[in-house]
Parts: sequence; structure tokens; C-alpha cells
Amino acid sequence: MSAGSARTGLSLLSPAFLVMAATLLAPVVALVVMSFWTQSGFEIDRTFTLDNYARLGEPGEGVVWYGIRFPFAYPVPAVLMVKSLAMSLMATICVIGVAWPMAYFLAFRVTRYKAMWIILLTIPFWTSYLLRVFSWKIVLGFNGAINSGLQWLGLIREPLEFLLYNPIAVMITLAHSWIAFSVLPIYVSLEKIDRSLLEAASDLGDSKWARFRRITLPLSMPGTIAATLLIFIPTVGDYVTPTLVGGPGGTMVGSLVQQLFLKQNDAPMGAAISIVMMLIIAALVGLFLWAIGYGRMRKRIG
Amino acid sequence: MTKRFDLLFVYAVFFVLFLYGPMLLMPLFSLNDGNFATFPLKGFTLRHYGEMAANTSMMTALKNSLIVGICVSITSTALALPAALALTRYRVPGGGAILSFMMLPLVVPSIVLAVGLLVVILRILGLPLSLWTVAAGHLMLCIPFGMTVLMSRLEGFDKSLEEASRDLGAGGWSTFRRVTLPLAAPGVISSLLLCFIISFDEFVISFFLTGTDSTLPVFLFSQLRFPNKLPGTLALGSLILVGSAVLVILAEIVRKRGVASDNPGDL
Amino acid sequence: MQRVKFIDRMAQGKLSRREMLQSAGAFGVGLMALPRVARAQGGPLTCLEWGGYDAEEYVGSYVSKHGALPDFSIFSGEEEALAKVRAGFAADVMHPCNYSVSRFVNAGLVTEIDTSKLSNWADVFPTLQTAEGVMLDGKVVMAPADWGNSSIAYRSDLIDPAFAEDPSWAIFYDEAYAGKVSMLDNELVIQIGAMVGGMPYEEAYNLTGDALAAAAKDWGAKGVNVSRFLWTDASEVQQAMASGEIIAAYAWNDLVKNLKAEGIPVEYASPKEGMFTWFCGLTLLNSGKADPALAYDFIDAWLSPETGKYLIESSGYGHANQKSFEIADPAEVAAMGISDPVAMMASAKLFLTPTDEVQVEQNRVWGDTKALKM
Repeated sequence: MSAGSARTGLSLLSPAFLVMAATLLAPVVALVVMSFWTQSGFEIDRTFTLDNYARLGEPGEGVVWYGIRFPFAYPVPAVLMVKSLAMSLMATICVIGVAWPMAYFLAFRVTRYKAMWIILLTIPFWTSYLLRVFSWKIVLGFNGAINSGLQWLGLIREPLEFLLYNPIAVMITLAHSWIAFSVLPIYVSLEKIDRSLLEAASDLGDSKWARFRRITLPLSMPGTIAATLLIFIPTVGDYVTPTLVGGPGGTMVGSLVQQLFLKQNDAPMGAAISIVMMLIIAALVGLFLWAIGYGRMRKRIG
Repeated sequence: MTKRFDLLFVYAVFFVLFLYGPMLLMPLFSLNDGNFATFPLKGFTLRHYGEMAANTSMMTALKNSLIVGICVSITSTALALPAALALTRYRVPGGGAILSFMMLPLVVPSIVLAVGLLVVILRILGLPLSLWTVAAGHLMLCIPFGMTVLMSRLEGFDKSLEEASRDLGAGGWSTFRRVTLPLAAPGVISSLLLCFIISFDEFVISFFLTGTDSTLPVFLFSQLRFPNKLPGTLALGSLILVGSAVLVILAEIVRKRGVASDNPGDL
Repeated sequence: MQRVKFIDRMAQGKLSRREMLQSAGAFGVGLMALPRVARAQGGPLTCLEWGGYDAEEYVGSYVSKHGALPDFSIFSGEEEALAKVRAGFAADVMHPCNYSVSRFVNAGLVTEIDTSKLSNWADVFPTLQTAEGVMLDGKVVMAPADWGNSSIAYRSDLIDPAFAEDPSWAIFYDEAYAGKVSMLDNELVIQIGAMVGGMPYEEAYNLTGDALAAAAKDWGAKGVNVSRFLWTDASEVQQAMASGEIIAAYAWNDLVKNLKAEGIPVEYASPKEGMFTWFCGLTLLNSGKADPALAYDFIDAWLSPETGKYLIESSGYGHANQKSFEIADPAEVAAMGISDPVAMMASAKLFLTPTDEVQVEQNRVWGDTKALKM
């Protein structure tokens, strides 16, 4: 491409970039710099040190958590990191799995009132997050909708207690809160698939399944990947949902960071943990994109 | 539309049930004559709606959130669209690095973003906190979402249409308006909706960046200390839910008058 | 103690703004060394207040004197509010509680209150006038306003009668009640556990080092495992108690009052290890831009018996002014589980606050205990 095209590209990109730079630069620089400081009480010691990172990696007696040994002197961040990643990964798989067929339905089956369908999918999210979580608590709760319904039907005598305050409740609630963020990106990329391609494939004798595998699935990848990342990345740091419906075991790495910044007077350690978390997420995302051959895919369909 | 009652259709029905089922408990308990949301129901009342209407701080917070949400979703989509075009259509030097930087709000803990921005606004710029500062924070949060959605829409589109338009002598703006924008339309709408949801629901950044005008999530979190106020918030949630659903359906019916479209890209 | 020195210098006016900012150690890359925005005297009164308290009923005399409510900036947690003020948010009055006020003081954000400017001060419960948290190192830093008890509320229809006869905090550490009770999400779980183990509160509140680690291992872990959930907001625990999901909980008076009003059989226990009393109040911040006289009017309005009457009857919290209990509906006072407020307050076991270092350590140990829950 020509230099002129690069210039046009830059000028298109720059407004958004400038807004992001103006709002994002200071917090991110502060985060990085702070991770090399230390704090005692309300005083911050601004001498450069790697202590925070060293403490995160320092070997020690450690703990055994669900059969996994964490041989660190300060094992809590590592344990929470693993827990958060596992939770986020499972939630992402659930959400994408649930959302994909719906996006497909929207793109290929709905022809009338399409805009209405899409907006209706997001309306539950126009009510507040707290109210949605509250609703789920009523559904899953002790005298909640499911238990009362089952009791009324005579299927159970005592309310089921395992519905709420456990990882499954967290998963369901997370899946529900993020569903719009996965249906919409998948839908927009499915929807652009040229119908003539599909027809051509059938004309050439491809079965329904082969058509799906060779055309629909690959062409939906940009949206599916976008949705995966939009859900996986923020949910690693999320801690509100696990606290609200996860019960006493609902602590996540995000809550640790928040505690360190606020109550535990150790913002530098919080910063160091945030940075390690960000690097781990970046590495996992890179690995994921490499594994599914994202670069090649972009070239092929681009 | 050919009505096909196959597995996919059944799935869609279940999906909508999953999405709306729990939400429908909100209107149910907002009409229940009790302060706690437990079965069995106690009796019908409209008093919670009276409490809601009388709660002026809540109504102001709702109004503030609507204003911020609408402004932020439009602005962030307007900024994200050209940026997404640039990154999918043009070879921008350092594009990958720029994109990674712009995606940072997804991974940086929100407390860091919030306090960092607050320090910048108060101590460097010396601005008072207002709805504008909340909007600035939300803008930062929304742009990455908008860009991701728009890029997934624009990626892999046949460039020949835009080239043809240019070959026919249309200028850059005219090509954008006649060709690119219609192509991007579903992405634009999705981005508007997602950005609105994010802004409307965001708590941490909103809390730190609000001055004396609070937004709805900040207000609702603060109400948790007073359980007697809960049914009033349920009433508000129900009104939003039912009101907007009815509004959207009516608007669509009026707009389309039932004209079916064969063009799948047509919204 | 560091804060002794700090308050003294603050009171003597020896602390320059620059020092203050540095000690405040706000977040950021040396950003806090930058001067604050020039302080415009005579701005409107800005109050950092709990959402729900931002209403005319709580400050009636202020509104009748000045014609309108002050500007409110609402918060839902003191730690977030503290971070906001430290980052530079200017407010005149803040509403912390006894366990958090010292953090504001230590961060160098608070100025002393001149109680002679408060007409209602003389009617404040004597115990509260001198309580730790109202006074720190001989100076009044907070005017107490709302207070309440912390004890065990239980569903009298669902609980084992043996508990009702001899109530004890041990219920929160007893496997037999696993999944049926809820504690507050706070390091108190460790402290109260130690008390169940026989340690007096005066020792338990100040646990540190190896003793703290041992108590966390013995009692903290048990407390985490037995609770169905650790509650963080009053709505959550009241809802769960109303539905029967939990049958006993760490609770304030408002839970008992609210549930009784709905006809749910609930009682407030007087556990053998003792019940606690907490209080919150109003603190003058040094970042305010309004005339301090306005701030004093606001605080005085909060301390008035009329405000107290409204607070007692509408929310089920106690009020710092003794007279408010005289004019409040006796039935409403009884519904809170309080029979004789003066006697109760005279013998109250007020929460004690350890030093900042100990608080931070306890908070860390508590956080780690929760994090490692299986």
C-alpha cells in the first residue's frame, strides 16, 4: 500500500488514539512505576526496588490448594490467579457456547424486525447489574423460584441448598451478564457472510455440515475471537459477581488487588500483582491467537 | 422468513427464557406487598412505585445515567469506527502496538484506572468532578469494546466495493457514506448498544469520578445499606425493563409496518 | 504513635499543605506533590455522605436555616471514600464510622471539631462523647451521630431452642450450623472466634503476629467454612434471613426491626461473650471549600433530637442524642431490641480500633484466610 494510505489510516486512527492516550497513559504509567515502590502506612517510599516482584516469586513452604502445590512464601496471589483464570476460562467457554447458536439464529433465521431482536437482547442489561444479580439470587435462592417451583410440583420436600453460593452460581450469573457481549460480535461477523457463497457450496454438492465447517465457521471467526477476548479478559479481574453469589470462597485476584490498594495500604504490591496478571493474560491471549492461527486467518479472509 | 420449528428455533426460545426469565421476577416482586423478595407472595400493591417516584435522588441518578450513557455510546462509536477502519483497511505503521495499547482498559483493574484518572483530573488539570469527568472515564472504557466489535465486522469484507466506488469517482466521504457505513451498520448498532450497557452499569470508575451528581449504579450500591429501599429499586428496574421493551417493539412496528426484507444485512 | 505527632502538628498549624499532601501519599507518580487547585473560600458545602442519608429529614435545622440541602457526594464504602479524598476530592464533611475514622485522621485529612460550636453536643450520650474514635489522642475528630449494636439475630422458629436459651457467638464456628449462618465479611470473624476460645475482647481486638496467625488458623478458617456467605451489605443478609436461607446472622438492630415489621419471627440475642456497639459520625475534612460555619450547622443538625427520632423510627439505628430516645415512639425503640438506651449505652462494649499497622495486618490475614478457603 502507498504512503498516502498509511497517512489516511493514521489520521482515521488518531482521534480515538488521542482520547485513549489522554485518559489511559497516566494511570498505566503510574501503575508500572508504582510497582517498583514500597509503602508503609500511608507513606510511599519512592526508591526503585524489585522487592514486590521478588516477594511474589519467593519460594517457601507454600500451600496445597485443591491438590495443587503452590511453593511460595506468599502463595495467596498465585492461588487466586489460578482460581480466577479457571473461573474466567470456564465462564468464557459457557458464554460462547450458549451465544453462538443464538447469533447464528439471528443472522440466518431472522429476517423481519432484525433491529428489534437485537435491541431486545440487550434490554435486560439496561436494568442495573445489581438488580440482575439480585434477580438471580431470587431464582437460585433457598425459597427462590426454582426451589419454590420444585416444591410446588412435589418433586422435592426440602429446598435445594446447592444452587446458590458456589462456583456454578457464579458461572450462571457471569454467563448471563456477558451474553450480550458475545452474541453481538458473533452476530455481526456471521451476518456479513455472503449468502451466494453458501448457495454456491450447496450447488457444488456440499452437505449442510461441510458447508458449515468450510464456510460459516471460518468466516465467523473474527467475531467469535472478538467475543472470546471481550469476555475472557475482563472476567479475570472481575470480583463483584463472585463476591455476590459465590459464597465465602468467592475471593478472586481482582478482590485482592482492590484490597491491597484500599484497606491493606499496599498499593505497590497491588500494582505488581496487576502487572503480573496483565502479562499472564497477554501471554494467554497471544498463545490462543497463535494456536488457532489467527494471523494466517486474517491474511486469508482479508 | 420461513418459519421453521426446528432445533435452532427451540433453542432461541430457551435462550430468550434464560435471558428474560430471571428478569421477570423484578416486576413480580415490585408488585408484591412486602419489603423482602421471598415466596410465597403476599399480595398486590403499587406502593413501591409510589416510593420510587418520590425518591428524587434516584430519579436524578437515572436521568444522569441516561444522559451519560447516550452521549458516551455515540461518542465512543464515532471514535471507534474510523479507528477500526484504519486498522482493518489501511496499513498503519505500528498498528499492532497501538491496538494493544488501546485494549489496555480491558485488563487494567478498574480501581487503578479510576484513581489514576481522578488524580489527573483533580491535581493536574484542576477540573471539578462532574458528569463530564464520568463520561471521560466511560469513554476510555467503551472505545476498546466498540473497536473490537467494529473490527470484527469490517475484517474480511470485500474491499472491491469500496474500490469500485472510488473508481467511479466518488470521493472518500461519499464512499464512506454510501458504501462503508451501510456495510458497517450492524457493527455500529452493536457498538452503540454495548457501549451504552457498559456506561449505564459501570460502578468503580463512576464512583471515583462523580462529584455531587451521582449516576444510577453509584446510587444503587449506596442503597444496599437500607434494605427497606430495595423494593423501590426493583420498581425502577421493572419500569426500565418493561418500558423499554414496549418502546422498542412499538418503534419497530411503526417503522417497518411489517415489510419483510430479503436483504439479510438490512436493519 | 505516628498519629499523635501528626494530630498535634496539625492542630498547631505547623503542618504545611505540602507536608500534608506528602503524608497523604496519594496515588500516583509524584502527582500529589503538585499543588492543589487554589481553594476558593466560600464555596457551597459539600458532604461526603452515605447514600440514603442525603435527605432533608436528617438535617432539618440546616435546611430551615439555609433554605436548601448542601451538595452531597454519595458513597457506599468508607475505604473507597477515603481513596477518593486522598486523591484530591474536596469535601467539607464526611460520615465515617468508629472503625474507619482513624484512617482518615492518619491520612492527614481531618481537622479537630470545636464542640462548643455544637448546640446539641451536651445531649450526646456521655459514653459516646469520649469514646475512642470520637476522640483520638485527646482531640474530638468526629461528632457521633448514628449508632447500633452488633449481635446475633436468629429466626426463633427455625433455630435449635438450646441456642436461644444460652446464645453464644460459637454458633458461627460450629460445623452443625454450616451453611445456615452468616457472619460479616470482616476480620471480626477472627477476633470473635478468639473470644469464643476464651480470650477477652480487650485482647482479641489487638491480635497480631503469631497469635493472630494462630487465631486465623483456628477460628478464621472455621468461620469462613461455616458461613453460607460472608455478608457485605445489609440488604443481602436481611433478604437471606427473611427467606430462611440462613437462621442466624451477625446483625445490627435494623435487621430485627425490619424483619419484625414484615411479621417474620426473629429475635436479637444477647450472647454470653457480649454484644458490641458501633457508631458513626461526622468528621470535618481539611479539604473543604465552604465556610466552616456551614459545616458546623450541618453537624449540629445531624445531632438534633428530631433527626434522631426520624433515624430511629425510619431505619432502626440508634442516635447519639439521648433526647431523641425520649421523643421517639417507644414501640419503635423496643422493636430495635433496646429497652433502656441510657443504661445500655453506659454498659456498652464499644468496638475498639487497633493501630493502623495492626488493622492492616488483620485485614491481610483475614483476606488470606478467605482466599485459601477450599
